[in-house]
Amino acid sequence: MLHYLQTIGIVAMEGRGFEYPTDTVAAKNGRLYVLNRSRDFGERGVRVTVLDLDSEYYGTFGHLGEDEGLLISPMCAAESGQGLIYVTDDYTHRITVFDYDGGFVSRWGTHGAGDGEMNGPSGAAFDADDNLYVADTHNNRIQKFTSSGEFLLAFGSLGSSEGQLRLPWGLTVAPNGDLYVADWGNDRIQRFSPDGDFIAAYGASGRGDGELRRPSGVAVDENDYIYVSDWGNERVQALDGDGSPVQVLRGEATLSKWAAGFMEANLEEAEARASANLAPDLPDVYGDDPHTESAHIESLFWAPMSVKLDDAGRLYVTEGNRHRIQIYQREPARIASRPSDNTWLQNVQARKQATGTRISSSDILSARDADRT
Amino acid sequence: MAQTDIELIAHLMRRAGFGATRDELDAYAAKGYEATVEDLLNPKDAEWLGDDMVRRFDLEASGMINSPGSARSWVYRMITTNAPLVEKMALFWHGIFATGVPKVINGRVLYDQIGMFRHHGMGRFDSLLVRLAKDPAMIVWLDNQDNHSGAINENWARELLELFSMGVGNYTEEDIKECARAFTGWTIGNTNYMMVRSERDSDWPYGRIAYHFDYRPEDHDEGEKTFLGHRGRFNGEDIIGIICRQESTARFISRHLYHFFVADEPPVPSWPYTPPRDPEAIDTLVQSYFDSGYDLRSVLRALFNSDFFKSEDARYKKVKGPAELLVSVLRMTGEFDRPKREMIPRYQQIVWMGQQLNNPPSVEGWHQGTEWIDTGTLIERINFVSEQFGDTNHQGVREMVDKICEGGAERLSPEQLVDRCLDEMGAFTVSDETRDSLVRFAEGRHVRENVEQLLRLSASTKEFQMA
Repeated sequence: MLHYLQTIGIVAMEGRGFEYPTDTVAAKNGRLYVLNRSRDFGERGVRVTVLDLDSEYYGTFGHLGEDEGLLISPMCAAESGQGLIYVTDDYTHRITVFDYDGGFVSRWGTHGAGDGEMNGPSGAAFDADDNLYVADTHNNRIQKFTSSGEFLLAFGSLGSSEGQLRLPWGLTVAPNGDLYVADWGNDRIQRFSPDGDFIAAYGASGRGDGELRRPSGVAVDENDYIYVSDWGNERVQALDGDGSPVQVLRGEATLSKWAAGFMEANLEEAEARASANLAPDLPDVYGDDPHTESAHIESLFWAPMSVKLDDAGRLYVTEGNRHRIQIYQREPARIASRPSDNTWLQNVQARKQATGTRISSSDILSARDADRT
Repeated sequence: MAQTDIELIAHLMRRAGFGATRDELDAYAAKGYEATVEDLLNPKDAEWLGDDMVRRFDLEASGMINSPGSARSWVYRMITTNAPLVEKMALFWHGIFATGVPKVINGRVLYDQIGMFRHHGMGRFDSLLVRLAKDPAMIVWLDNQDNHSGAINENWARELLELFSMGVGNYTEEDIKECARAFTGWTIGNTNYMMVRSERDSDWPYGRIAYHFDYRPEDHDEGEKTFLGHRGRFNGEDIIGIICRQESTARFISRHLYHFFVADEPPVPSWPYTPPRDPEAIDTLVQSYFDSGYDLRSVLRALFNSDFFKSEDARYKKVKGPAELLVSVLRMTGEFDRPKREMIPRYQQIVWMGQQLNNPPSVEGWHQGTEWIDTGTLIERINFVSEQFGDTNHQGVREMVDKICEGGAERLSPEQLVDRCLDEMGAFTVSDETRDSLVRFAEGRHVRENVEQLLRLSASTKEFQMA
C-alpha cells in the first residue's frame, strides 16, 4: 500500500520551482533532479531543477538551447551507476549526460529510424550492467545503448500485438532485470526480457480498476508490484505481479514548503484560499471527465507524467500541469506527521476574529511552525 | 464531375470549413452539394489529432496557464478535424461572444468556453444563451460575479442585449436593469479566491484552478421584474426565453451569420443605421429561425442551400480572417501530423495578422472584412502563405507537387501547369489577369523545381486572401 507523504514544488517560470515538469530522478546523492519542459516550449523555463526532500534548493542547469549542456524539450531522465544524469530531449532527438552538479559530460543521438538513431526519445532507464534503455517514441520501439551511447539492440514496431508499441513513453528496469514499458497508445504496460522478448502485458483500455488510459510511466519494486502513472485517467495505480489492481490513487496534494512560503508572503491570497472550498462539487455540465475534474480541483493529480521509486520505497509522482511532485511511501510505512492543508492558517484567522487584530507575517510563521512540530 | 460542381463545393468548403484539398473536393462532389451540407451540419464520428496527442506533446496546451496554450489546442483541432463547420461555428461565436484572457486570466476556462460553442453552437439559440450566461469565463469577463441582489452590476445584461442578441435600439435602459436583476446570483464558485488570483495574475502555488458556475439562490433577486413589456418573477432563463422570441434577435443573429458566411457587412455598431446588404436573404434566415424554434442548424441549412450563398457573385468576396487563413494553409500543407514546437511561430503569425484567439480587442470582438487588412498585416499574410507553400518539407506541399508533376511537368504547357497548380490548391480560381501573370512566370520554367515557386506565387495572389 501507498501512503501520502508530502508535496514538493511550486510553479515558477525560472529558478526555484517547476514549470510543466516531466520527470524526476531521485539520485543516490540524495538530491532530486526535476526536468521542466516549460510553458510554450522554452525561453526561460526549460531547466533541470535540483532540490532535496526538505525542499532545499540547489540551483538549475540544462537551460534552453542547442549548445552542449543545453536542452530544448527535456522529457525523461535516468541516473547511471556512475552517478550521471541522462536526459532525453524529444526535440533534438538526443541524450545529454550531466554530472551531479549539472556539468555537461557528453551527448549523442541523431534524428532517424536506423539503429541508434531516434525520433522523439522519451523514457530512459539503466539496467544493472549500466546499459541504457530508451523509449524511441515516434519510431515505436525501444533501443538499448551502452552508457557511452553505443547501440546494442532495438525491438518493437508500430502496432497493438504482443511486443508491438504505440508511442511508448516511460519505462523502468525491474529488480530482476526485466524491462517494463508504458505502451501509451495501447493503454497497457508491456514487460520484456533484457533482450526485448515479450513476457507479459498488463492492463486494458478503460477507467475501471486495473484498466489504463494512456499510461505515461511505470515503476516496479522488489516484490513485483507495478506502479503506473495512469496519465489519461489522472491517477496512479498499484498492480500486483499479475497485473491485478491493488490500489488506486487520485491524488491528495497539500501545500509544499515552497507553496506555504508563498502563502506566508501573500496574506491576501492566503486568506482567500483559506476560506475557499478547494474540492467543490462540480456542475453536471463538466461530466465525469477526470482531466476536467483535475483542472478544477487542485489536490488531484493533473497530468501525472511519471512515477519513480527510490531506494527507501518512496514513490515520486511528477505532475506536469500542477508543477509539483506528490510523494507517497510504500509499505512498510514510515509516515511523518503532517499538517492539514490550511489548519495553521485557520488557527490564525480564528485568533484574528477573536481579537479583532490584523495578522502579521510573524503570526503566520509562528502558527505554521507550531502546527508542524 | 463538372468543374462547376467542384468549384461550388470548393466555395462551400472555404466558407463552411477551412478549404479542402482537390482529393477532398472530389469526395464531397461525389456525394453531391446538399448531402455535403448535411454532413457538415451533422458530422458523425468527428475525428481530429486528439486531446491526448496535444496534451502529451504540448504541455501548455494541456495546463493552459494563459491563452496561447488554449488557442494552440484549438488550432490543432481546426487543422486536423474532419468536422470543419463545428470549428467554424465555434470561431463564429468566439467573434460575437468575444471573451478574452486579460480579464479572465485563465486559459482553461477560455478553452472550456470554446468547447461549449463546439458542442452547442449549432443547437437552439436559447439553449446556447443560457449556457453562455452560465459560462465561467463570460461571468468573469462581464463581471456578473459582482451582480448582486440589491446591488446590480449591469455589464453582462447590457452586452447580452446589445451585442449578443437584439442589438442597440430594441430595448430600454430600464430593460437592462431588470435583466441584470434576473441574473443576480449567477456567479462562479469560490468567487473571492478566484478573483484575488485573477487580479494578481496568480498561478501560484500549482497553476491555474479552472472556474466553475455556481448559482446562489440567496443572492438572487426574487422580486417581480418588467422586461420588454413582460412582467414576472423572472430568473435568467426566463429573460433569455423572452429575448429569443424577439424579431430583433432573429434579425441580429441572421445578419451576423450572413456577415460571417456570405458577404461582408459593415461593422456591427453601424447596423442600427445601415440596412443589410441583402434584406431578402436576412428575411429568409429570420423565417428559418422562427420556423425551426430558434434552431441554428436549420438556419445554417437554409443559408448554405440558398441561391444567395451559392451565387458566383458571392465567391472570393470575403476577406479570410487570420485564423481562417492560417488554418486553411496548414490543412493544405500538412505540416502537423503531431504537436510540434513549430506551432508556436505558426500561431504567432495570426497574432501578427491581427487576431489573437482568446484575446479579442474588446467585447465587440474583431471587426471583419477589409478591416483585417492594412499594410502591415497584408505583408504578414503574404509572407506566411508564400513560406508555407514554398516549403517542400511539408508533406502536403510534396504531395501537391507530385500530383502536379505526374507524367512530367516539362510535358505541360505553361497554361496547363498553372491550371494544375490552381486545381491542386483546392479548385482555386483567379481572375484572368492573375492567371496571365502566373502563366508568364511559368513560361520557360515549367520543370518540377519551379512548381513550388508557382505554388508560392499562386498563394500570394489577392484571390488567395479571399474566401
